[in-house]
Amino acid sequence: MSERSSEKAKIGVYICHCGGNISDTIDVKRVAAALAEYPNVEISREYPFMCSDAGQKMVIEDIQNGRNNRVVIAACSPMLHELTFRKTLERADLNPYLYEHVNIREQASWVHKGDHEGATDKAIRLARAGIEKILRQDELESIHVDATKHVLVIGGGPAGIKAALDSAGKGLRVTLVEKSGRLGGHLHDLDTIYPSGEKASKILGQLLDRIKATPLITVALNTTVTGWDGFVGNFSATLSDNTVLKAGAVILSTGYDHVIPAEGEYEYGKDARVVTLPKLIEHMKAHAGEPLSWNGKSIRSLAFIHCVGSRQKEGIHAPQADGKVNDYCSRVCCTAALHTINAIKDAQPDLNIYDCYRDIRTYGRGHEEIYQRASKSGVVFLRFTEEAEPRILPDSVVVKDVLTWNQEVEVPADLVVLVTGVKQGAVEKLVSMMKLPVSADRFLQEAHPKLRPVEVANNGFYLAGNCQAPMDLVESAAAAGAASSKIAALLSKDYIPLDPYVARVDAQKCTGCEACLAECSYTGAIFRNPATKKAEVNAALCKGCGACVAVCEPRALDLAGWSLDQMEAMVDAMAGEVLS
Amino acid sequence: MKYDTLVIGAGIAGLQAALDLAEQGRQVVVVEKNASIGGRMISLSKVFPTLDCASCITTPRMASVAHHPNIKTYTYTEVKQVVAQPDGSYKAVLKKKPRFIDEDKCIGCKRCEEVCPVYIKDHLEHDLGAKKAISIPFTNAIPQYPVLEPESCTLCGSCANVCPVDCIDYAQEATEIDIEAGAVLVATGYELTPFNAKPQYGGGILPNVITSLQGERLLAPHGPYGRVLRPSDGKIPDSIAFVQCAGSRDASLGVGYCSRVCCMYAIKQAILLSGSLPTADITIYYMDIRAFGKGYEAFYQNAKDMGINFVKAKVGRIRAGVDGNVLLRVERQEDNAQPEEMNHDLVILSLGMKPEWNPTSLAWDVETSEDGFVKSPCAPMDPAATTRDGVFACGTATGPKDIVDTVMEAGNAAMSIGNHLDRAVQLATRNTTHATAQAGGHA
Repeated sequence: MSERSSEKAKIGVYICHCGGNISDTIDVKRVAAALAEYPNVEISREYPFMCSDAGQKMVIEDIQNGRNNRVVIAACSPMLHELTFRKTLERADLNPYLYEHVNIREQASWVHKGDHEGATDKAIRLARAGIEKILRQDELESIHVDATKHVLVIGGGPAGIKAALDSAGKGLRVTLVEKSGRLGGHLHDLDTIYPSGEKASKILGQLLDRIKATPLITVALNTTVTGWDGFVGNFSATLSDNTVLKAGAVILSTGYDHVIPAEGEYEYGKDARVVTLPKLIEHMKAHAGEPLSWNGKSIRSLAFIHCVGSRQKEGIHAPQADGKVNDYCSRVCCTAALHTINAIKDAQPDLNIYDCYRDIRTYGRGHEEIYQRASKSGVVFLRFTEEAEPRILPDSVVVKDVLTWNQEVEVPADLVVLVTGVKQGAVEKLVSMMKLPVSADRFLQEAHPKLRPVEVANNGFYLAGNCQAPMDLVESAAAAGAASSKIAALLSKDYIPLDPYVARVDAQKCTGCEACLAECSYTGAIFRNPATKKAEVNAALCKGCGACVAVCEPRALDLAGWSLDQMEAMVDAMAGEVLS
Repeated sequence: MKYDTLVIGAGIAGLQAALDLAEQGRQVVVVEKNASIGGRMISLSKVFPTLDCASCITTPRMASVAHHPNIKTYTYTEVKQVVAQPDGSYKAVLKKKPRFIDEDKCIGCKRCEEVCPVYIKDHLEHDLGAKKAISIPFTNAIPQYPVLEPESCTLCGSCANVCPVDCIDYAQEATEIDIEAGAVLVATGYELTPFNAKPQYGGGILPNVITSLQGERLLAPHGPYGRVLRPSDGKIPDSIAFVQCAGSRDASLGVGYCSRVCCMYAIKQAILLSGSLPTADITIYYMDIRAFGKGYEAFYQNAKDMGINFVKAKVGRIRAGVDGNVLLRVERQEDNAQPEEMNHDLVILSLGMKPEWNPTSLAWDVETSEDGFVKSPCAPMDPAATTRDGVFACGTATGPKDIVDTVMEAGNAAMSIGNHLDRAVQLATRNTTHATAQAGGHA
């Protein structure tokens, strides 16, 4: 049933050493030798880094010299390099889908470290399965879909505003959706920002002026996204006012929420002297120029306690609503606390300030200077461990201070400031509607934590700012710019290419029983054509999950690139004897 | 040749920004002073906190840049001059250094390297290994051209005799290339703070006190020894110490700032070491552990659970012990304040980051801050901007940062540059229209 290339299949197999990651465990020479004997294999080579330019060049030359017309590379995970090598085939003018990536690193060398023989045998079996699969591969073509040149930005804090401005700068129409009645998010709550000391209101004012001056941006306040449909290039969002918006791509800039301490944690909610840092900042902003007071009482000494709601440990800290502790660092609180302390000290140098911390994490440019300033202004730093947290007494705080040989130190405190962390905002509805991946820390999960921090594995979704991880203003701005840059690339082309691994129907065999329709999770991906009474597939909507294939009794359904006969042949090849 | 953007530096920042711009349809020229693209990242062992091997995730980016139809790369090339034009664009003069081979002919066969009789220190291995006086920089270098080091070459002629395409050219000279670009991106990265900045730490004197980048090479799968050995005698170290803030947070060194990555790379190296040497004792002497990024705190806690010793202490002095061992005078800040003398087989100094290149060496009004990094006057909302319109900066050129933050900044810089170029076109069109309207006002 496959329309194979008319030319006889000549397979080139390449075994990558991955610079020792594979070859330290697997005998790559033996693998290459064993596969050289396998039917239809014309060339079998091994090389230190197949992904290097020289490795790719070798494949291209072999193809161009007519040595092979189908390629199997046994290397790392296809997550890393399947795309790299498809492009290699393209450069050699070969259909990029005549390539099979076999993972002998995660699936053999790394998991069978001490077992050289076993790992080598397994690598041979896995590669043989790859050979059998690519032998039965059709010359697939990627699916092209048109894209709506309109960007939906969800969340109107600084990250969302920056993303909207950047996308509009590129000439794209933008709808900026904000659930509250105003743009600006948490920027409204701040007085000055670190490290520059600029007024938050000034920065916000400039951003809002630019939004007003940008006709391509439509702002929808008091609006949420209530319905979701479609696919990359062609999303359709239902908004809370029941309008439907078409968008080619989405930026999530939904921001963060402050962690609220548990009732009774450091006497929070019980002792009126115990407040959170965001509350103190708001209070100071509202009473600018006045000596610091709380509930009418003037303050002479303050104790700050860091890592409240951050860096929590199971068994020590009470779990959050979902049963898990916040084991991550909230990144911004150390510098935010010290920045606030400096503001207090600048106004009232005689106030006594005690800073109780676990590690001071003033990592950013200009942050260490903030710490130094606080230190020089006479702030007393006390270091505690999570096993022995400070205790709140009626007029003081008791700290088991590591820096004073683990002695208990009692410091006076008219006000106790809990330096609370940040947590994921209320995104549950979006997550379930859009089927977004979520990290263990509840923040939205990026496609790759190092190299693709603003992309999501789901095509067409991008992350800007604190919905992905805690970050400060300048970092949020960078993330927003990066997300916009990806969209600028996506929507600058005439079409969006999608992988061709979708279900296909053999109309001869289809009985029109509709069992597949009931099984499909993606609205509209498979449907029954009323005229022919047969099933048909919308390739742009199909995710290639194969659920329909499994329930099709007459075997009329198959998955392009992952057909049943391919999989049967792979199983046989894997289970057969290894002769070498 | 006229490009939309000149990217200076082909580390992960420059590569990512170039790719983003090229994917938006911009024509980009990337200039790299080293013989291969890939920057510092390609020479790392693995990256935190994912423990992906650095080669595995850098090479695809390198290959994508090298093969992108909208990107031209010049390696082994320096930017000699950049001059602003009245229309807001830039003219640059590049100096292409001689590799002493004809790049049009070379097929990268490595035969020259095989026959060369001269061994020299391999700076890419941070002098832990040797290479030939003519050699391809490393296995997955792009491009795969050898470079001949003229100071070490004895002109013996072996390489020229064996070269199958007759491409060795002992008399080759530097050439100059003129280019034009609508915008410039400074992505020139970092170097480590000086190894010998603190003489009391013995850096560069005690053979078993090494830099953190040497530590990376010891742990790299294709590193100089293929396994973890200490440099002085090849002994497999049984007790290894990391000294944190060895080049940062120390005003006496002129580096008062935090270098932001040293805590995490030390923890990563410690985890990798305990994988290669399961019985070794590993200690990290630190001031504060700054595990602030996504997944970093969990990585730190894992390291603690694996048995890596974290000791909050200042190391006052490092000197030679017996049998090549290293003695650290340690002032613990925990438990008791009595200074102790600690004995280790191998010590890694967690050096900080300083800028690799000073942009003020070109007369073009791109300013640096007191810390020596490129000034970002429009941060927070426009972190890629510099003091000069049309010149942008990202990555560690604007301050220490890790790979993920660099990649974010690179994407943002590409966006800012794209919008700058569009605005420049709009402005030019408006001026032209205005001029036309005036000229033909009464026609």
